[in-house]
Amino acid sequence: MNTRTNSLAERLFSYAVMLFTVIVSTFPIVWIVVSSFKTNKAILGDPFALPSSISFKAYADVFTQYNFLIYFKNSLIIATTSTLIAVFIYALAGYIFGKFDFFGKNVLFILCTITLLVPGYARAQPIFTIVMKLNLYDTKTGLVLVYASFGMALALFILRVTFMSIPKDLDEAAIIDGAGFWRIFWHVNLPLAKSGLATSGILLFLANWNEYFYALVLTTSEANRTLPVALGFFNEAFSYNYTYMFAALTMIIIPGIVIYLLVQEQVQQSVASSGVKG
Amino acid sequence: MKDKGTKWWIAIFLAPTLLVLGLFYIVPIITVFTTGFTDWDGFGSPAFNGLDNYVNLITYDNTFFVAIRNLFFWSLIAATLHVGFGTLVAFILYKGYFGWRFVRGVFMIPMVISAAAWAMIYKIIFNDDIGVINNLVRQLGFSGFHVKWFFESPASFWAVTFTWLFYAVYVTLIVYNDLMAIPKEIHEAALLDGAGEWQITRYINLPLVKNAIGTGIILSVTARIAGFEEVALTSGGGPGNETYNITLMLYDGLVNYEYGYANAAATVMIILGVSVMLLINRVFKMNEKVY
Repeated sequence: MNTRTNSLAERLFSYAVMLFTVIVSTFPIVWIVVSSFKTNKAILGDPFALPSSISFKAYADVFTQYNFLIYFKNSLIIATTSTLIAVFIYALAGYIFGKFDFFGKNVLFILCTITLLVPGYARAQPIFTIVMKLNLYDTKTGLVLVYASFGMALALFILRVTFMSIPKDLDEAAIIDGAGFWRIFWHVNLPLAKSGLATSGILLFLANWNEYFYALVLTTSEANRTLPVALGFFNEAFSYNYTYMFAALTMIIIPGIVIYLLVQEQVQQSVASSGVKG
Repeated sequence: MKDKGTKWWIAIFLAPTLLVLGLFYIVPIITVFTTGFTDWDGFGSPAFNGLDNYVNLITYDNTFFVAIRNLFFWSLIAATLHVGFGTLVAFILYKGYFGWRFVRGVFMIPMVISAAAWAMIYKIIFNDDIGVINNLVRQLGFSGFHVKWFFESPASFWAVTFTWLFYAVYVTLIVYNDLMAIPKEIHEAALLDGAGEWQITRYINLPLVKNAIGTGIILSVTARIAGFEEVALTSGGGPGNETYNITLMLYDGLVNYEYGYANAAATVMIILGVSVMLLINRVFKMNEKVY
């Protein structure tokens, strides 16, 4: 729309709202990150002051004294593995939903995606019991399995459309060349589905990296603790050492932000479109 | 392509997803609905006890009442101020002012951060000693200002509200998406008829994005029904049980091995979620085409 016709008052108002949006979105994070380089004394002295000197001591301390290396590794392993498994199995199903017909297909697809209506935490007790029965309580494997199950509806939405948009002519040409079912999927369709695979992978990874509730419920030992849960314990144990708290918070929020900044457009687009469909 | 081999491949390709659907969705949901009527503690076999869990949920103390009251007010704030702010930002971004793309990108950042970390950040922001809010107020001259936000009544309710109030980027993105989909001809026709900027916004654009706003309300209210970190890691539901919600009750039932109780709370969550969706669909007539 033509911006020149807008009145001065409207432009001022619009810029004010835009500025406010930027401040509420970035200030809390910038403040946390900047403060993580200050000493605890400096934080207590003046919370707004910039650090007088950059100190990485807090980071070194939380890594060496408080097992954060373990938590970081756990988070990375669990989020990565569950995302890879999820993207793979939902790509298999998405390929079928996108390109093949079979009895009951639509009912099944609706059944898979209607699960979005049930809040994730509402299934907490049965999932807890299932993980117990599989002897996977307090294991990384248990969390990986549960996380892999979470992205189902979202991944199927994205991947079904992705495979639908790949022309069937390519499959038919491959059949004539003598390619089997698996080869057509793996060598013809999968390479062309890269953007859908990437988008669903990114969204699932972010969700898994950030997940708190199930990690809290399904693990108990430090050896299997993830960063968000560690942060919760940290909150209670070190409520007066703010530098450590800020350093720990920075470590958990930065990877998500970096990944997002690298692939902004995909993340925004998928939020916009999944909302419309959901 | 429809030979016997293909059928097998279809079955193999679907098998893992079907396993997930059954094990992590269908069985749990049935378990939730049925064990809500039993005294199950997760070990023995569940014995039917009728509506005991639901009676217990509601009458044990006033927590359920408080949780529902909080949900009502939080949903109201979410559906009006929260979605309203998200929609306002979308309309402003749509004007394409300098820097709009940057604002949209930055607005998304709080969404990609762990909700646990975000809750903790807000706990620190509202901290009395080092928090930004109280220090700012004190520096503005109110040197005696020492509200302990997450630990005082009624400040706690509002402090929890602030952790999500402005973070409506998903509403912005959905509404913006619908704004971009409005055919240019409609605006051109309106301009020819002499409509002003404000009239186009109010009488053309706003009605045409009502489905997106409806979706935004559903998503935001559902997020309130299923909220956890924003309360558990800030006020812990306190002071007393003042900021309790249903998820916190479910969590209590789970860690105390009162599975029937937990699943009664879960059932309430599911029913509320589906009702909100149906209600908003109805109110916004979201099944009807807008064009």
